[in-house]
Amino acid sequence: MRKALFVGVCLAALALAAWGEEKVTITVAVYPDLDSVIEGVLPAFQALYPDIEVELEVAGYVDHHTRLLTTLAAGMGVPDMAAVEIGYIARFAAEGGLVDLSQPPYNAEAYASLFVPYAWQQAHTVDGRLIAMPADIAPATMFWRRDVFAERGVSIDEIKTWEDYIEVGRRLTYDADGDGQIDHWLVDDAATVAMILWGGHTRFFDQEGNCIVDSPRFVRAFEVAKAIREAGLDARIPAWTNEWYEAFRRGTVATAINGAWLMGHLQNWIAPETAGLWGAAQLPGGIYTQRGGTWYVIPQASDNKDAAWKLVKFLTTNPDIQLRAFEITNAFPAVQAVWEDPIFEEPVPFLGGQPARLLWKEAVQHIVGVPTNPNDAIAMEIVSDALTQVLEEGRPIAEALAEAKRLIERRTGL
Amino acid sequence: MRRRPLPGRLLMYLLLSLVAVVTVFPFYWMFILATQAPAEIFRTPPHLWFGRSGAENYHALIRALPTFWRNMWNSIYVAIMATLTTLFFCSLGGYAFAMYDFKYKNQLFALMIATMMIPPLLGIVPYYIMMSWLGWIDKPRALYVPSMASAFGIFLLRQYIAAAVPRELLDAARIDGCSEFRIYWNIVLPLIRPGLATLGIVTFVGSWNNFLGALVVLRSREAYTLPVALRSLQGLYTTDWGAIMLGTALSILPILVVFLFASRRIIAAFAAGAGLKQ
Amino acid sequence: MSNPLGLWRRWWARRQQRYAPYLFISPFYILFFAFGLFPIGFSLVLSFHSWRAVGGLETMRWIGLENYRFLLTDPWFWQSLGNTLVLLVISGLPQHLIALPLAFLLNRRLPPRLRHLYSASYFFPYITSTVAISLVFGTIFGLHYGILNQLLEYLASAPWSRWLFGWLEGYLPINWLGKAVYIKPAIAIVVLWHWFGWNTILYLAGLQTIPREVFEAAKVDGANVWHEFWHISLPLLRPIIFFAVTMTIIGNMQLFDEPFILTGGTGGPGRAGMTVAIYLYRTAFEWTQMGVAAAMSWLLFVSIGVLSLLNYLLLGRAALARRGEE
Repeated sequence: MRKALFVGVCLAALALAAWGEEKVTITVAVYPDLDSVIEGVLPAFQALYPDIEVELEVAGYVDHHTRLLTTLAAGMGVPDMAAVEIGYIARFAAEGGLVDLSQPPYNAEAYASLFVPYAWQQAHTVDGRLIAMPADIAPATMFWRRDVFAERGVSIDEIKTWEDYIEVGRRLTYDADGDGQIDHWLVDDAATVAMILWGGHTRFFDQEGNCIVDSPRFVRAFEVAKAIREAGLDARIPAWTNEWYEAFRRGTVATAINGAWLMGHLQNWIAPETAGLWGAAQLPGGIYTQRGGTWYVIPQASDNKDAAWKLVKFLTTNPDIQLRAFEITNAFPAVQAVWEDPIFEEPVPFLGGQPARLLWKEAVQHIVGVPTNPNDAIAMEIVSDALTQVLEEGRPIAEALAEAKRLIERRTGL
Repeated sequence: MRRRPLPGRLLMYLLLSLVAVVTVFPFYWMFILATQAPAEIFRTPPHLWFGRSGAENYHALIRALPTFWRNMWNSIYVAIMATLTTLFFCSLGGYAFAMYDFKYKNQLFALMIATMMIPPLLGIVPYYIMMSWLGWIDKPRALYVPSMASAFGIFLLRQYIAAAVPRELLDAARIDGCSEFRIYWNIVLPLIRPGLATLGIVTFVGSWNNFLGALVVLRSREAYTLPVALRSLQGLYTTDWGAIMLGTALSILPILVVFLFASRRIIAAFAAGAGLKQ
Repeated sequence: MSNPLGLWRRWWARRQQRYAPYLFISPFYILFFAFGLFPIGFSLVLSFHSWRAVGGLETMRWIGLENYRFLLTDPWFWQSLGNTLVLLVISGLPQHLIALPLAFLLNRRLPPRLRHLYSASYFFPYITSTVAISLVFGTIFGLHYGILNQLLEYLASAPWSRWLFGWLEGYLPINWLGKAVYIKPAIAIVVLWHWFGWNTILYLAGLQTIPREVFEAAKVDGANVWHEFWHISLPLLRPIIFFAVTMTIIGNMQLFDEPFILTGGTGGPGRAGMTVAIYLYRTAFEWTQMGVAAAMSWLLFVSIGVLSLLNYLLLGRAALARRGEE
């Protein structure tokens, strides 16, 4: 009896050892709430790949990218897989560092048709590498206050063009308590509107890598922002400040032009008590653009690229998993097939029962994309600065943009 | 002794108290915010009194960060190790610079001061490379070993020792046959306790708030120190403010205790050592 | 007496006195060579390269003095250096101008318990975490509901204070963090709050080393409070003022935390709050131009050295010379 037990234990140990040899552990670096997504779908993943263990490295949103950059720079201790947000993807587009997923054995170009086209294009670099797989996207949208619009006798249908928006804005900007000072505005910040209009963190360079910040798209963005500012329609409140939160709570700004994800923040902690008072609409003037989005990347220095690729593929290309992720974080999935799910037709209580996801689904299909350029981040800074000069110091738009282009070109290559 | 006229004294107290209120306010504020619900935290004008969500925030904190107390312990451990080692090596160095004459002393001292002027920001990549080479990733020693002998600490204690330790005492000890290390350990150290308290609190605070270094060398949640752990709750689409606030308030407590415990010493230490006599 | 052990002991005693100081200071230099020198050498080498970081060390490309040439002709670099210098003056100077009289008041006949309470509370901001700072000052500097603007609005309109603050009305509400001209004052306020206590304690300590009899004697000679402060305390505090100012220069030239928090990490509109340290950080970690950032850190090092030298010539030499006379 004893002997039999001993043999049994030995056999079990042997089996375990053999099994353990094939087992790999991959480290996955993410920021919240992506850790909840991965933890949520991990059982399903491990049912498919029982020999892959996943270890999460979670850091704050900003800190995560700083750390990823540091490990890539050192070429040591890189995670096997990492999340990258749109505001940060430019810095990872430079030569080397991340695996080109269009090459064998990944051959990821085969998945192109799954994804919304612009997110797929932004995963590419100017020199044609595919450095990331899209996980979620964020269409830009216009949130508007139903109560404020009703009180001022304005209908959302009046806003078709940006000219309409500014015209209506004059009625939405007023002095409510009669103390002689304006205390309600059309929008939080004209600068944010301009940024949405020119395309957010990307689209400063064309396919060939030429700087195009003096193109009509930027001129138009600057003109609209200038018109809003000159008519005194924006509250000039910078985003992510107490003033900003308070403005949403009190309804002192009638519209907010931002990523669709702003609703999550409003609902969870900025202004939960305003549920039902909001509506969502397409941006005026037939503009479709994005504000945010997440990709997954695999560092070149990783030792477990194959296992990491399995998880990336599982998270990004599997519609069921994308749907689960959507349920957990409410971030818009990048896989188009997911949008056919009935959940996208459900009314959104926070937006007064409006089926807003249908709206966003339509918007993302119109967005055009360009490849990601390593100098996008510095270009963003220089163009924002040009905008400040136009809005605050009255500098002519053409002059400011020409100067911005010169400054950007001076910096590239260093 | 002539007393000063009453209005003058009142004005003085009023002024001193006003400044004190302004400086202590943020601490009061932290604890107020820690007891409020996330939606209340960013309210303007703010609530100036305790809210009722303290317990709720605590549950949110532990749910979001199950390793909170572990992280607190990591911070305490690193801060204590940093403080002890810094005090030892800096007092040793400060003692040598203050009490000995040796070749190249001035040059070595100037070199040390110059290292203080080097902006540390860019060091983060080479620092990470070194810690990887050494295999110190996720190890607390990566945080305190490199800064054990700080230029500032040696400088501060050199000034203090020069003022507080009489040379005659050391010569007497030498005649009695004390070894140099024994003189340092048995005579100098007890004399400079207030100076050590000052450097101690500066080191403790610095270590406690060390963020960027901790971010790159600590990778797993179990190894995190508090600043990194608390900031790991900041997401893109969600941020758990109630938990972050309470965690931050709790993270201040140990340092507050250390400070209250040592502040009389610190001030006395400055008092005795700040004359900066050669 | 002449046994070998005794000889050995005496020889050792002389030796160790000669070599002990080297042994005692060696930890600093060992650690400095082990952990300090590599980053310095690394950033020096880096400053002659173009490096976008993500590709690892092997993607460094030698470009000679290009980074330095770029920076010396870069309007943003000169602007950030200018910002840093302005902030050094408007946040550094008031620190000492407030700390000196405050320390003087604290050194007068106060009950010791009360003096301890005051000095401890002035030291408090120094140990505050950055999260607390950003929250507190976020609510203070808010445009429409901020405490500071509400206070100023009240002062500008209330009958009793109108005559003094009425002129402000045209400027209110002040966009502290949103308009270029107000950012530096806002940053200076926070830096001042964060650091004045440190200097107050330093000066108080210095004052306490002045024997009471010096003040008593002056009083007998009919000196008033002003005379005590200006003609007795200040001259005696000169060496410590030199020390404190040196620390302020080294610290404020590398000013990072406060402007970083207040401007959300950007330097604010028009980069009016962008110090060299913030520009360096953003160049390295946001725009991944590591070589440019490395060159910048060396230019910053040189400017700190120049300022410290100036400070030595202005304040230090006199202070040290005085000590020589004693």
